[in-house]
Amino acid sequence: MNRARRRKDFFRTAGTWASAGLSVLVLISVFVFVFSRGISTFSFDMLTDNYWATNYLLDIENGEANDFVPPAATDEEKYFSRKFGFSLVDDIDKENNRLMVVESMSALSPLHEGIIATAGSDQGKTHPVPLGARVRRIDYTNINGEARSAGILGQDSSAAKTIERLEIEAVSINGLFYQTTGGGIRGSIISTLMLIGLTLLFALPLGVSSAIYLHEIAPRNRLTSWIRAAVEMLAGVPSIIFGLMGVSMLFRITSLFGINTQSILLGSMTMTIMLLPLIMRQTEEALIVVPASLRMASLSLGASTTQTIFRVILPNALPGILSATLLSISRIIGESAALIFTMGTAISDNPKISQGATSLAVHIWTVMAGEQPNFELATAISLLILVMVLILNLTVKLLTYRINRKWQV
Amino acid sequence: MAAFKVENINLWYDDNQALIDVSLDIPGNQVTAFIGPSGCGKSTLLRCFNRMNDLLPNTRIEGNIIMQDGREISDPSVDVVKLRTEVGMVFQSPNPFPMSVYDNVAYGLRCQGIKNKKQLNTTVEYSLRQAALWDEVKDSLQRNALKLSGGQQQRLCIARAIALEPNVLLMDEPTSALDPIATAKIEDLMQSLKRMYTIIIVTHSMSQAARISDQTAFFLLGKLIEVGPTTEIFQLPKDKRTEDYISGKFG
Amino acid sequence: MITDKRQKNKLASCHRRKLWQDKVIKRIFQGSAILAALMILFIYFFVISRGIQPFLPSYDGDQQNVLSFLTGNRWRPDMNPPIYGVGFIVINTILTSLGAAIISFPISVLTALYIAKVAPPKLRAVLTTIVELLAAIPSIVYGVYAAGTITGLVDDFAGLFGISTYGGNSALAVILLLAIMIFPTITSLAVVSIRAVDRNLELGSIALGASRMETNFKVVLTSAKSGIFAGLALGLGRAFGEATAVSMVAGNRMIGPTLNPFDITRTLTTTILTGMHETSPGLDYDMRFSVGIVLLLVILVTNLSIQYVKRKVGGITNE
Repeated sequence: MNRARRRKDFFRTAGTWASAGLSVLVLISVFVFVFSRGISTFSFDMLTDNYWATNYLLDIENGEANDFVPPAATDEEKYFSRKFGFSLVDDIDKENNRLMVVESMSALSPLHEGIIATAGSDQGKTHPVPLGARVRRIDYTNINGEARSAGILGQDSSAAKTIERLEIEAVSINGLFYQTTGGGIRGSIISTLMLIGLTLLFALPLGVSSAIYLHEIAPRNRLTSWIRAAVEMLAGVPSIIFGLMGVSMLFRITSLFGINTQSILLGSMTMTIMLLPLIMRQTEEALIVVPASLRMASLSLGASTTQTIFRVILPNALPGILSATLLSISRIIGESAALIFTMGTAISDNPKISQGATSLAVHIWTVMAGEQPNFELATAISLLILVMVLILNLTVKLLTYRINRKWQV
Repeated sequence: MAAFKVENINLWYDDNQALIDVSLDIPGNQVTAFIGPSGCGKSTLLRCFNRMNDLLPNTRIEGNIIMQDGREISDPSVDVVKLRTEVGMVFQSPNPFPMSVYDNVAYGLRCQGIKNKKQLNTTVEYSLRQAALWDEVKDSLQRNALKLSGGQQQRLCIARAIALEPNVLLMDEPTSALDPIATAKIEDLMQSLKRMYTIIIVTHSMSQAARISDQTAFFLLGKLIEVGPTTEIFQLPKDKRTEDYISGKFG
Repeated sequence: MITDKRQKNKLASCHRRKLWQDKVIKRIFQGSAILAALMILFIYFFVISRGIQPFLPSYDGDQQNVLSFLTGNRWRPDMNPPIYGVGFIVINTILTSLGAAIISFPISVLTALYIAKVAPPKLRAVLTTIVELLAAIPSIVYGVYAAGTITGLVDDFAGLFGISTYGGNSALAVILLLAIMIFPTITSLAVVSIRAVDRNLELGSIALGASRMETNFKVVLTSAKSGIFAGLALGLGRAFGEATAVSMVAGNRMIGPTLNPFDITRTLTTTILTGMHETSPGLDYDMRFSVGIVLLLVILVTNLSIQYVKRKVGGITNE
């Protein structure tokens, strides 16, 4: 080989190395980005909190000052009101706003006696202030009988100042305004789980039985090859088109059940159709590796085709169907475009199957598409999604490896 | 009385003719051996007796196989699924289902809708005893069948077929995947089974055919060359090709 | 044992039920397969039938003109009356997707070659997994990633030329994002088709004095071209159809094709998606279906032209 050829060879080899290296870099960069940005916002509270913060305006009766004993171990950060028997701490929320949180309450604190003052069906009901409530304002009466306010919406910027003011000036407290913690994704987690459950309920029977038909029963004729081609085409349709199909076609079906809005049901039906090619392909691959001799043996013992399928083939294809399930879950978790159309973009804290809600992925889209994108929350959810998708896909890889090994014995 | 009368069978896979004008009688309660080099059509003919060829696409069959009750085997009134309970089959390599020994033997009965526990138990024991496997597995009936040795697996497959009380047992080179000791056990078994069943065995080994069969049929390139009592075929073959094959000139 | 007569009768009825069940269950299986196959027809039917509504005289809203829709240079649903022109959007879609393919295709093919032929066995397994993981990352995560990193890079890069961008939202950002997203698609198909190349062809080439790399480039790649182009078609299809991620970095261009890569753009999918949460049934909603038809058409035409190109590209054919 002369030098020119050798040099060309070198560059070609280097080119393949560099390209492969680039793909590794991209993956690493996605992971580093999502982890480094997401981990700071990610917290256990985020998983359990509602997204929408609720405001509570409470009247407090019998709020006269008393003399409460502070809890034994009070550290520097907590400020206890001896007059009213509760303590506050400073905190900051996910958007970096200062806030004060109720840290503890004595058993007889007037804060247990809150009465909802906001107009509505709950007005007049007793509503004790919960621990962790984000106190915005405390209304009190001073020694001259004048109504005053303490707290962030009053004149004080910290827990220390609020408590100090109450201890010095207040004769009684008569009202309190607080917010629950918002910005969480509990509702979206629940709706994602509902979506996964419903979709699998529809998609697995349909997909698995279609695959069984194609692989075990179907004669080799034109109809069969048309079916295969049609399913193949389905795999190439962009997910946004599935969304359009969902709202135009499947919407008519959900309307029959009286559901006339976007809903989790509609989303799951759309996902069902979308996942059919995936489930069918995975199932068929599992059927292919079941040795033909088992089918022969079963049939030669006088079993009918369906008996052979249910007693011999399906039990052996189960790991494959399991991996189809896991991959489907991974796809459902990641899907956004089709669900934006069929489930809507309104985040719901109490998702119902017959109502619109956001899956985790659509939750990201909603917080990113607003006027002020909430990038922190978006990356934190991305982190959650990424980890789940990663685990699911690696599990499938392991499963596939074990299936192939099983039949090689 | 003949268990099967084969009359002028021709069989094609796509455009390849695998059987050419084959006619012979299979006598009842005897062992008939099909011998011949690979690709001679002997296994294909075997699969005609329980219509396993139906499962292969693009297969075309002409001619008749008359069953003991006088019906033609491919007659529409013949129920294939039922036929296969009457004609059992044992395959070349042992193919037990990946379930317990018990479930393997009970499989055919359960497929017939028999759920009676007591009946299943007796049949499983009876079949395993007939297949000379009972003593080896009676303490581990719930063990996965794939854990048995190759020879045990093959006897399990025989037990599985016997459980249905077939009239005929088809055996497609049942010992080709086994070691000599396991082979000897299966051959002994066949000798005892022929009192109750008509056995048709396809074998690659001429010594095996000579040892176990009552009648032997020699096939070559899809044609039946010669059929007759085993002793005659091996000692006084009428056809030159049979003689050449038996004496090992080709194979 | 199955001998007494009563039991024989019972078995016979069992047997009849078994055959009947067999038939019914087979029908059910066949039904679900046919249902699955019909879905593609349903999708086309429902999207098209809704999408052509605005152009029919029977439409109970402002009837739209097909020609001005297809060739239009403006997308102004906010005007009164609204203007819906999809022509420039098609151009933008094709430009961004092609740009992504031009970047991604060579890298994908080289990576595939590396995985299939060059890499040591252990690295091969690792890289295959990496490509699979890249394919599994949901588009919304890519979108967040692009909005957080790629836009910044583009903005910095534009700054070198003294150009200011809309926070990095630009055609270039879309191109880079799509290039990453279609990479695993093209790569995995290319790996499969490279592996499928007959080893004898390779040996033949090596026996003729070609080096391993020369063989890989001149024989293996040309023999695998059918599969590689199938991968490209699939990748382009994904690029055209990608919605959420693209909408997060595309900007929201209202007028004219984007020829400057640092300028904001608008693709067919982002058009279908944007403003989705604030629209209600009516013309604006139906027009999304019309854009959907155009999207399906673009994908169809692309697939056909790739078929054509595949036939034209020289080398040995393995069909």
